[in-house]
Amino acid sequence: MSNKTEICEKGRRRSESARRRGMLLTPFILLSSFMFLHILFSCSSIDCPVQNLVYTNYGLYKSSGVVDTLHDTLYVFSMKADGTDTTLFNRGINVTSFSLPISYTCPEDTLYFLRVGADDSFLLDTVWIKKENYPHFESVDCSASFFHKITAVRHSHNGLDSIIINHADVNYDVSNQHFRVYFKGGD
Amino acid sequence: MMYRTSTSVSISRAAISLIAALLLCVPASGQKLKLFKLQKDSIPLMRGFQVSFDAVGVVMMQIGDYGHYEGALRLNLHDQWFPIVELGYGKASHLNDEVTGLNYKTAAPYFKVGVDFNLMKNKHAPNRLYGGFRYAYTSYKVDLWRHDLPDPVWLWDTGFGVDDEPCSQHWLEAVFAVDAKIYGPLHLGWSVRYKRRIVHDEGIMGKTWYVPGYGICDDSNLGGTFNVIIDI
Repeated sequence: MSNKTEICEKGRRRSESARRRGMLLTPFILLSSFMFLHILFSCSSIDCPVQNLVYTNYGLYKSSGVVDTLHDTLYVFSMKADGTDTTLFNRGINVTSFSLPISYTCPEDTLYFLRVGADDSFLLDTVWIKKENYPHFESVDCSASFFHKITAVRHSHNGLDSIIINHADVNYDVSNQHFRVYFKGGD
Repeated sequence: MMYRTSTSVSISRAAISLIAALLLCVPASGQKLKLFKLQKDSIPLMRGFQVSFDAVGVVMMQIGDYGHYEGALRLNLHDQWFPIVELGYGKASHLNDEVTGLNYKTAAPYFKVGVDFNLMKNKHAPNRLYGGFRYAYTSYKVDLWRHDLPDPVWLWDTGFGVDDEPCSQHWLEAVFAVDAKIYGPLHLGWSVRYKRRIVHDEGIMGKTWYVPGYGICDDSNLGGTFNVIIDI
């Protein structure tokens, strides 16, 4: 009988001690939960790319494949939505490469390359760049943009010999040279 | 306008590490697999079930642009191993961002399956510390748009957005959790989770912002839950 009472007493003590431990843990859990929620909400970080410009790079080459220097003055312009023109590249002298913007959603960009010689003679060429456009999204905190895939390029042949696509994907990676341009007279 | 379908798939180094760790746990033939050994005592293997819901997701839903409703069913094997299934419904509605003007909407169910291990020395104590992992998956659709996005050079008014873009994601979570008995069958607990995506398809727009069940896709791989748990 006394053994039974002892066992019961031991059991009661054990459950009492477990209950106390539980009571101690409860405020700990609640406090840590609030701290945890605070950390959770304060840990969100905005991570927009530093380089967020999308443009195309053009490299000038001679037919032999070496880099060409254009001694004429080069202008590149295009027509805006309102019908007026906009200069994309102004007074390029002794250029070996240049960069131009690319339209957000036009299926084909039309560019005008004007090459003015030292004697004020000029050669005007039209360049049509066909492309696919797709929206690019990083986060709601970052500006929206469009990436592109160049599918074809054609042009007139007044001062231009040829333009070939070197890298078709146009995105935030501006280290790529997208076009190789061969002007006439660049042997 | 033509869109290019791009599927971005990445195999996480964490997944590979996990597989390697599991392979290392496989013993040489003839040896016992100690990892899954149960404590020897008179307690039966089947100790019942726990159902729980996560309060963090509900609070986030009420005070922010995103959140989730998540419930879980956990099987108690000898107070030691706890296979668990978590089912949830994640939702985000971020409209007209005051800086970028972007709108983002998604809502989809998700599931997580895994197992927790009771880290306490006394496995049968009323309070528990868990370590565990989850495999999770969701398939969701994203509406993303901005009402006007004029081309800065050509000045064309361009529409930016995608509608019902199908996306999916598989990910893994390493879990550390606390569970304290409050009164009767009622327990409260929280968990901290380290998440790593293993395979994801974010549609043509390149990235997604909120993934149901995973949360915001930013630099932080941490998440957590605050659980209200009932013993059955």
